[in-house]
Amino acid sequence: MSHISLKNAGVQLPIYDSHSLRLLRLPSFGRAKVGTQAVSHAGSTMIIHALSDVSLELADGDRVCLIGSNGAGKTTLLRLLAGIYAPTSGSIGVEGKVYAMLGNNMLLNNDATGYENIQLIANLYHWPKGKMADFIRDIEEFTELGEYLSLPVRIYSAGMQARLAFAMGTAHTPDILLVDEGIGAGDAHFQQQAQDRIHRFLGTARIIVLASHSVELCRKICTKAILLSKGREVFFGDIEEAFRLYSEPVN
Amino acid sequence: MNTPMATVAMDDQFAQGLPQRLFVRTMVNLRTSFTWAWLDTKCQYRRSRIGPLWETINVAVMVSGLALVTSGLFGGNIGDLIGYIGLGIIIWSAISTLVIEGCSTFVRNTGQILSSNISIDLYVGRTVSKALIIFAHHLALYLVGLVFGLVPLTWISALAIPGILLLFLNGSFVVTILAFICARYRDLELIIRNLLQVAFMVTPVFWNYQLIGAHRKFIVDYNILFYFVQIVRLPLLGEVPSAQIYLVAIGTTVVTFFVAVLTYYKMRRRLAFFL
Repeated sequence: MSHISLKNAGVQLPIYDSHSLRLLRLPSFGRAKVGTQAVSHAGSTMIIHALSDVSLELADGDRVCLIGSNGAGKTTLLRLLAGIYAPTSGSIGVEGKVYAMLGNNMLLNNDATGYENIQLIANLYHWPKGKMADFIRDIEEFTELGEYLSLPVRIYSAGMQARLAFAMGTAHTPDILLVDEGIGAGDAHFQQQAQDRIHRFLGTARIIVLASHSVELCRKICTKAILLSKGREVFFGDIEEAFRLYSEPVN
Repeated sequence: MNTPMATVAMDDQFAQGLPQRLFVRTMVNLRTSFTWAWLDTKCQYRRSRIGPLWETINVAVMVSGLALVTSGLFGGNIGDLIGYIGLGIIIWSAISTLVIEGCSTFVRNTGQILSSNISIDLYVGRTVSKALIIFAHHLALYLVGLVFGLVPLTWISALAIPGILLLFLNGSFVVTILAFICARYRDLELIIRNLLQVAFMVTPVFWNYQLIGAHRKFIVDYNILFYFVQIVRLPLLGEVPSAQIYLVAIGTTVVTFFVAVLTYYKMRRRLAFFL
């Protein structure tokens, strides 16, 4: 059983600058417009209200996409779910093994080969050693990278890196998969494969949270959606309803 | 910043900041982070013919230069000095790698910390393991010294092993502290680099501590870094370190452990905000 529960969770990002050390007074962000809904002051530090008052309950089988314009708080919410950010208000509870794939997988070592990187991720995420051969075969089949897997990752194209990262994220099935635009880099064939894989992966009833600007991709993978605007949760529920609200002009 | 922090029910991401568990986690993550650092080293060898051994060559050159100057300044046979200075520089380079790399541990990995959810302890472990691997490379010079009879090999030499362990154990707590604090206060890394240069001059790494005048003896007596140099160097020179040296080194490690716990406790939740 995996489960995610957010209760009025918010993330306020402080902007640290050299003023906090106060050795010298140097030009800073002091003149930025503050006191608006998005930015405020706490002492000398500026605070960005990246996410406020989000409440969610997700359980096994939920496939949710995050939609909203740039800066709406999609990545912040994913980082909150991944445990990268701690909530500054409200609370969060996450049950289950989380794999966060935010951006292209930065953990990859560019000078190491594809195979070495698989071993690296397996090591860092504590994949069971006994099943390594299965994982590797699975990744070989999915990525279709062939002999490229024996070459350093730095020579891979963006799409090839996305394939490898996605294959590794889903090889040792996590309970909760968080994806931020990661699939977008691949070609149409890869997108189709990724969808198939996610559907198969969901046969084991897990949670997926996906942030994407691709309406088509969201529709194919997800059933629910969270619509964010300026760090606030505008809507959480049926995906079609969310897209209808999103496409409405903002007044 | 005094923003109130809410309670988190998340299983281990933040609850793992529980102080008493830091030590256990350090041990558990040892293998994982060592494997990570080993891959880094392998890749380094791939791009340059002798990889990290370049640094060992730097050390060898520096030792020769310093031995030449020191024997000229203070007198003494260069053959006797080179063992003392060589071991001193090898140990010092471990200390300096730990401090410098420690400062940038989180800052350097900003992208990875913000985009994946592996335990941040692994970044600390990677830095410490990397320093250990480089140190092991430098020990090749010790072997050369053995072959040429510049350093003695006795049973006492084995006492260096607990010394090295203590040096790196303390090092891992220092790396934890520096990694957090330097992520928050970016000026500190530059200040620390400067201080480290001064510390190299002040610490009896390449000069004989017995030659110091009585009125400046405090430079040696109150220099914690010197004790860490000595717990490794003395046994390799065939001397048993005094109980005082061990007590200071162990005492320091206990203190840095608790400071690391405190740093973790105070800053772990806000780490991603610093980056």
